[in-house]
Amino acid sequence: MKAHKVIVIGDFGVGKTSLIRRYVLDVFSDQYRATLGVHLYKHSDVIPVNGTEQQIKLVLWDIEGAPLPGEQMMRYSLGASGAIVVGDLTRPDMIEPMRRAADMIEARLPGRPIGFAFNKYDIAPAPNDSDIAALKDRYGALITCTSAKTGDAVPTLFRNLTSLILGKKTGAL
Amino acid sequence: MSEVPTFDARILLEGARIVAARVDEDLIVREVVGDWCEVAVGEDVRDTVPALIGMEDELSQELPYVQLPFVSLGMSHEQPVAISVKRDWETQSLWILLRDVSEEASVQERLVHQHNALSLAHRELAAARDAALTADKAKTRFLANVSHELRTPLNVVIGGASILRKQRDKPLPNDDVITFSNDIHDSGILLLQLVDDLIDLSRAETGNLTIYEEWCNPSVIIDEMVRLSRGLPEAEGIEIVYLPNENVPEMYADPRRVKQILLNLLSNAVKVCSPGSRIQVETEVLGSGDFKITVRDNGPGMSQANLAIALEPFGQPNAETRARGTGLGLAIVAKLADLHQAKFDITTELGKGLAASTSFPAMRLSSNTG
Repeated sequence: MKAHKVIVIGDFGVGKTSLIRRYVLDVFSDQYRATLGVHLYKHSDVIPVNGTEQQIKLVLWDIEGAPLPGEQMMRYSLGASGAIVVGDLTRPDMIEPMRRAADMIEARLPGRPIGFAFNKYDIAPAPNDSDIAALKDRYGALITCTSAKTGDAVPTLFRNLTSLILGKKTGAL
Repeated sequence: MSEVPTFDARILLEGARIVAARVDEDLIVREVVGDWCEVAVGEDVRDTVPALIGMEDELSQELPYVQLPFVSLGMSHEQPVAISVKRDWETQSLWILLRDVSEEASVQERLVHQHNALSLAHRELAAARDAALTADKAKTRFLANVSHELRTPLNVVIGGASILRKQRDKPLPNDDVITFSNDIHDSGILLLQLVDDLIDLSRAETGNLTIYEEWCNPSVIIDEMVRLSRGLPEAEGIEIVYLPNENVPEMYADPRRVKQILLNLLSNAVKVCSPGSRIQVETEVLGSGDFKITVRDNGPGMSQANLAIALEPFGQPNAETRARGTGLGLAIVAKLADLHQAKFDITTELGKGLAASTSFPAMRLSSNTG
């Protein structure tokens, strides 16, 4: 079975590692530890694709955080089937870095599905409707408000993105 | 034709913690040089090096460009490796090079931690500075407004009193005396109201506005305030009614402050309504158990932009009402509602009246209604 590479990118401290560890290991830690380079997580899951349950394998790339995508991030994105761009709802200026990261994905990985994860939804409200609509219009992206701490919407985020990846491959989308 | 140099992994490996794995076009390991980490001949290299998953297209290129400086498996605590790929032109196979970068990683990790901590501190300082600047501007604007609002009625008092003092030399007609006396009186009342409002607002801002709670009957309070507002000078020709609801619960609140909320809302409505208009006070126990008091008028209403202005201290979008109020009423109502954990809300549309609601939480209500 082919494994799919999914990169998880965003500014540092927004919760990329926490989201992945919640999805893969179902754990959460309040202790912040910056990711250096990239950490890989292999994960198997079962998701519905075109009405049937399908076993999938993912390699999740937890990429070192940066406010804006740089050469390192571009290098690590090579060959990815999809990307999750993570933002921190507690930061007032979160949208622009997310846009820049999504622009990089579009340029480097044209046509690959993008999911926007607005993280820390347990302590901050969702973005306003106009920002969400603008991101949907511009990138045709999945938008999910997540909480790595409580686990809310975390599996949904990864599974929906994987469905999109498989849908594109089978031509269903 | 120039000679293409042969890639010799053995030369590269001398003295380094490095493993080189030669793979065929299916990425099956055919040869391993070095024993620093486990890469087995005959296996798919992607099983040991999952970072290569997804890179098949790049690896099939004549000159694949794969340079991954720090890669580790996040689920275990394996040491980070640097991954790079070279093509062996002689055998037409690929060499996957894995180099231990633990030492560089530990140094870089400290640097990244320091950099991130500094960036976060910088952001927090910038946010604190912006908040301080905004607060400073708000304070300056507030003081300018206070000065302006105090000067207007004071000028009326001083001007009127000066004219009245000159009566000794040149007596004024009785009507003028009465007019000037009324102006001085009204301005004095306005000044007193402004000072009272300022004191309330200041206390609320500093958390020193105390409420004295007791069990009270909202119906009695509403009835009293409706009757009082009918007596306001501007209320002539305006119908002000209370539509009592059968299920009005007893409420644990400060009756004086609830009266203040209602009177502020009623007098605001009276100021914007013209004769023939109707103002009504409604009550409702919501599905959540909260108790909502609404002051609704069929006056001119206001746009959302003007509503935002009206909610600011001294914000008076309507030039006509400016002369008749302090512009602090709604700000005080919002603070008083907050002190009761009540939700204050205004719905309005230009030309379609205005409804100002205060919803007191269910925990403040007696369980027996009626």
